[in-house]
Amino acid sequence: MKTHTVAAVYHRRIKTLLRVSCCSALVIPVLATELPPPSNRPVDFVKDIQPLLHDTCLKCHGPEKQKNNYRVDVKSIALKGGDTHGVAIVPGRSAESPLIKFVAGLDEDMVMPPKGERLTADQIGLLRAWIDQGAVWPDSASTPLEDPRKTHWAFQPVVRPPVPAVTAAGISVRNPIDAFIAARLAEKGLAPSPEADRRTLVRRLYLILNGMPPTPEQVAAFIADTRPDAYERLVDALLASPRYGESWARHWLDVIPFGETHGFEVNTPRENAWPYRDYVIEAFNKDTPYPQFILDQLAGDTTGADAATGFIVAAAALLPGQIGKDEESKLKARQDELNDMIAGTGGAFLGLTLHCARCHDHKFDPVAQTDYYAMQAIFAGVRHGERPLTTSESKEREKELPALRTQYEAVSFRLLDFEPLASDEGTTPQRPRVPVNARLNVDRFAPVKTQRLRFTALATSENNRYEPCLDELEIFTAGPDRRNIALASAGARVSSSGNYRGNTKHRLENLNDGLYGNDHSWISNTVGQGWVEVKFAQPETIDVVRWGRDRDLKFRDRLAVQYRVEVADAGGGWQTVATSGDRAPYRDDKSESTPIPPGLDDARLVAWHAASGEAKELEKKLREATQTPMLYAGRFEQPAPTFKLYRGDAMQRREQVSPGAVAAIGSPLQLPENAPEQERRLALARWLGDRRNPLPARVLVNRIWQHQFGEGIVSTPNDFGRNGARPSHPELLDWLADEFMSHGWSIKYLQRLIVTSATWRQASAPVPMAMQKDAATRLLWRFPPRRLEAEAIHDSMLSVTGVLDLRMGGPGYSVFAPNFNYVRVYDPKVEYGPAEWRRMIYQTKVRMAQDSTFGAFDCPDAGQSSPHRARSTTALQALNLFNSGFVSQQAGLFAARLQREAGDGNLDAQIKRGFQLTVLREPAEDETRLCAQLAREQGLPVLCRVLLNANEFLFIP
Amino acid sequence: MNDPALSHAGRRLLNRRAFLEQAGTGLAGIALASLLSRQRLMAADHSPIRPVIRPENPLAARMPHFAPKAKRVLVIFCSGACSHLESWDWKPELARMDGQPMPGAAENFLTFQGENGNLVRPLYEFKPRGQSGKMISEMFPHLAELADDLCFIHSMTAKSNTHGPAENQMSTGFTLDGFPSMGSWASYALGSEADDLPAFVAIPDPRGVPQAGVNHWSNGFLPAVFQGTAFNVKKPIYNLTAPAGDAAARDVLKKLNERHLEKYPGDFELSARIASYELAAKMQLSVPEVSDLSKESASTLAAYGADDPDPLKSGFAKNCLLARRLLERDVRFVQLFNGAYAMGEGVGNWDGHRKLKEQYDIHAPIFDKPAAALISDLKQRGLLDDTLVVWCTEFGRMPTFQKGASGRDHNPNGFTAWFTGAGVKRAFSYGATDELGHKAVENVATIYDLHATILHLLGLDHERLSYYHNGIERRLTDVHGHVIHDVLS
Repeated sequence: MKTHTVAAVYHRRIKTLLRVSCCSALVIPVLATELPPPSNRPVDFVKDIQPLLHDTCLKCHGPEKQKNNYRVDVKSIALKGGDTHGVAIVPGRSAESPLIKFVAGLDEDMVMPPKGERLTADQIGLLRAWIDQGAVWPDSASTPLEDPRKTHWAFQPVVRPPVPAVTAAGISVRNPIDAFIAARLAEKGLAPSPEADRRTLVRRLYLILNGMPPTPEQVAAFIADTRPDAYERLVDALLASPRYGESWARHWLDVIPFGETHGFEVNTPRENAWPYRDYVIEAFNKDTPYPQFILDQLAGDTTGADAATGFIVAAAALLPGQIGKDEESKLKARQDELNDMIAGTGGAFLGLTLHCARCHDHKFDPVAQTDYYAMQAIFAGVRHGERPLTTSESKEREKELPALRTQYEAVSFRLLDFEPLASDEGTTPQRPRVPVNARLNVDRFAPVKTQRLRFTALATSENNRYEPCLDELEIFTAGPDRRNIALASAGARVSSSGNYRGNTKHRLENLNDGLYGNDHSWISNTVGQGWVEVKFAQPETIDVVRWGRDRDLKFRDRLAVQYRVEVADAGGGWQTVATSGDRAPYRDDKSESTPIPPGLDDARLVAWHAASGEAKELEKKLREATQTPMLYAGRFEQPAPTFKLYRGDAMQRREQVSPGAVAAIGSPLQLPENAPEQERRLALARWLGDRRNPLPARVLVNRIWQHQFGEGIVSTPNDFGRNGARPSHPELLDWLADEFMSHGWSIKYLQRLIVTSATWRQASAPVPMAMQKDAATRLLWRFPPRRLEAEAIHDSMLSVTGVLDLRMGGPGYSVFAPNFNYVRVYDPKVEYGPAEWRRMIYQTKVRMAQDSTFGAFDCPDAGQSSPHRARSTTALQALNLFNSGFVSQQAGLFAARLQREAGDGNLDAQIKRGFQLTVLREPAEDETRLCAQLAREQGLPVLCRVLLNANEFLFIP
Repeated sequence: MNDPALSHAGRRLLNRRAFLEQAGTGLAGIALASLLSRQRLMAADHSPIRPVIRPENPLAARMPHFAPKAKRVLVIFCSGACSHLESWDWKPELARMDGQPMPGAAENFLTFQGENGNLVRPLYEFKPRGQSGKMISEMFPHLAELADDLCFIHSMTAKSNTHGPAENQMSTGFTLDGFPSMGSWASYALGSEADDLPAFVAIPDPRGVPQAGVNHWSNGFLPAVFQGTAFNVKKPIYNLTAPAGDAAARDVLKKLNERHLEKYPGDFELSARIASYELAAKMQLSVPEVSDLSKESASTLAAYGADDPDPLKSGFAKNCLLARRLLERDVRFVQLFNGAYAMGEGVGNWDGHRKLKEQYDIHAPIFDKPAAALISDLKQRGLLDDTLVVWCTEFGRMPTFQKGASGRDHNPNGFTAWFTGAGVKRAFSYGATDELGHKAVENVATIYDLHATILHLLGLDHERLSYYHNGIERRLTDVHGHVIHDVLS
């Protein structure tokens, strides 16, 4: 145990010291108490010292590892020291040099080397003598420090390279892309493949540009189009299709990582995050120039693209209730949020791992720790959360509000007159009144003068499981000029039997604040019961009470299904004016229609329907007019100063840092410490969109290339730093980047350039010789075929079965069964219907929980950025696509379509149509035979399921 | 009609080994990784080791880095933060100081949920157990009987005091969402020994999933083939049941796919997809078989408590039996969860903020007997010889009660985990918290250390097992972690 104790003390210290450290803790050797004496002979660095340092220290403090950012092979760093302990070697003063103390084992917290053989007293003596003699170190014996700013390709300015000349015969060069590709192929003794047939090309174009296959008719039209520019015309049409933005927005959302839930354990919905998704779709469709795309996402509040700033807060974040109440937890959670913003921006636009500089200078790239905190200062005023979106439309709607309110009030009063009087006996008459419902209930009674009314809940829905809830209690004066005298604004005061303590939202004041819905409701403190009393400003003659649990009908629990309404009489007693007793029993039937009052004759019924319809219409308009749309796109506030944090530890502040960007890249950006919040984001956006910044254009061009060919020219799309992959075609990348910038940073221009190249138009069949040299097809001797991504599989399927709903934008659809647990449970829906048959980009993106059919196809989970999806093949994918209810249902719909379009009794024609729709070709004879037998034995839907699972259907050819 | 063997075309492909190995891959991420490794200069002894994944069979069994002690891992996870002070970490001084203020604590002693009151003694009695005399509380009487087989780490620390992030860390090494789970790393590194079952199975509590939900078995950024498959006796794998006409349909699909493959000879993705339907067909038989407990003897069912009339108890007991059946069939990594968050704080899990004793009186009997029976059963069947069992929870609890409550708040600074089985010492305790059980003070261990040790026992060097993602050579242990050699046998 003795050794443990020492180690424990040591371990504890090192832990506090290196909270967020990348360094490893060490095993403790024996401690020394005094230094060995310096050697008394002249010491030569190269002969005596360098070998010693190399043998002993280089493994951890050399070219490969620089623990504590210290290395002994570079003179300047060896002398200056690492991140901690100050100057390591003090010339002339060996006893004070930390290096000597550490190798001698004087400091129990830091003994070097930590493992292996320690230096002998003689060796230490030599080192001491060298230092005491002035630590002479010839520059020639120092490893030159590489300056990546000067040497690493990605940090060099984009210079348009010359287009290589293609001399070989028979090579098609449609644009310079082909020349660059052909040149690299020639180096390897390879040649491009011939052009693919038109049927393949049209399918490939649709799948890649629009994310779903063409119809057989579209294929036929293209094949029949003999104009010389038929191909280019099709490309233009597909780039102009709204389907283009829907497909390509998905690729950008992967990079972010965009999610519509908060993540972590509660993972509750972020209701208003979807406008960001719509912004991205629109930006791709409108071909927003890239610098504008950057500007919108960082500072859309200045460009009229408010939703675009959803970019900054796209990642998961802890909600306040999930963050510890202690100071450290709060600071750390905030640091994590800011880190996501920095990492997101750095990865998306710069292709740099800026977050690696959170605790220390970047190990590979010229990103100083100070740069990281300068970037943090840019985002320091951005908070996760919603902000209201005021648009010209919303202002316009607001103006209509008073008139709408008056109209609505009038019709709602008209409706009151259709209600039968509540029996004050509490008995059920022949024709009971309508059952209570969660939305709105009316109790009409003979006019009575009083100053106080009491509503008592006696039982609630769901077997008295919860305390009763009222979103509003309205009490109207009798006569032609009805007024709601329960309103606080009319001078009424409310009291209750007790108020809910679980959530501060459901306060008593909500009962008569004139606002409806669960967020403006009162809840009692007693399960199943509770009363509220309203005292009017003065005695009034009243005859109607109107109340509801949630006029938005989001909630049906907590509904008072048994209740009593009483008014105070002159003598101070309570007189019952209405009860639930004469209503039909409560049914939790989920119906949203307004129940028809009983006992209406035909004429009155017609009148009621007219009034009720009018009321509904007005309610809808009112809702639209009163709801300021909210956006989950960040809240902005002037931030407190930003400080560099020692080793990234939120508790260890160092010097203040002013807003800025990576100093070593592009033109310098440095703002005053107190720069206005918005100005900070604007400045960063301008810095990123500046042609002099060598990274953003290269990074974007590479992303586009990657989604065209399956692999980028740089295969590490979010890391263009020294740790990333080298470009397979560096000149081509630069040529494309320059071309892109020179053409207004137009992404559609770039897309067109790529898909009209001969390279892209190649056939995809394997060529044995080429497979041997380059099986991964990195050099593009063919078009690399690949499996469709999850969303394209989904969309393609719905497209061929004929049920795809192409409605664009707005709130997404959910594939999970409704659930309101405060820690959300995401179980897949059991049944799917037209509401779920939109394009998958409109599927509400729940973090971590995946679509139970398509998620397994390497769909990103919106946890971490996923700029490059893995493409794997699993048994679960097969189970999902072959067995799931979703696909079986689609197979049924597909079968119905085939029967409809090919004739009910004609199986061969149905099979032919099935092949045309899925794989855009006619079936071969043996295929027809095989399929017909299956359809006859097992039914057409089973065959349809097979066609929807076929490799040919699921692959980009 | 339903040929379980690999299709003809697939088989032809698989034999062309040399061709395959040159071929890069259909798994884009992995291709990328190997490309990078060739590109970069790395020190020989610490260079990342990325398993060679054969794209046509990514779950093929692979060699570990060195001879392993454990072939399989069972992680038993008590979700909600099971109090170390009530279970494994005996603190007589805390009992002595019952009712006194926490020494040295600020007046307003804030932890996760806010203010704390005074110290409160352990709420269960501790007794010496087994020959070793290890003090274990009466909360887990059955597990306590196994004391001589257990290897405790009493000095665990976590990086977060919030359930979600801390559970993330315990299962993925990172507090953030989106990182690969331990089981995914294991199947990425080692592949599968079971040819008709998933390599990695998560068994959620019958009451629902733990706080961090699917993160516990997510593949994160690893290819989806390495994700954990979640099912339990009550809730089978989604989409496992085949619709009518399955075999005939599968046969036609295979023929159509083989015909298509002729146009793309040598394409792994296409042939892997053909093979994947064949594995899926096998799983349609093997998963119901492994989940079917009807062949277990009455005495086994009784030993686990799977016949208990209380559905909460028998539900978890059946999951324990399922765990054994999976391990028996060589599933590489099994996670067994006790506790679910779907029901709210403390109701269905170990999050004892309000009325800790009342809650634990309910939860402990659900957990104790079946878990103990599982370990005894594994031992009796010889499976403990090459199976590592890890018991863990996301963090511990405070030695104080929360102000105005009879429960303890979150404590990430000191808690207990234990091992048993392959490669670890028995009747051994490593590390310690302070006298009050507040903070780990002796041989402080991190979750990284725990993970490093688990990987080590599987024959994997945690510093070298890596996957390139987004500019970083990612590891389960980030840039931290030390194998806890003291616990190794």
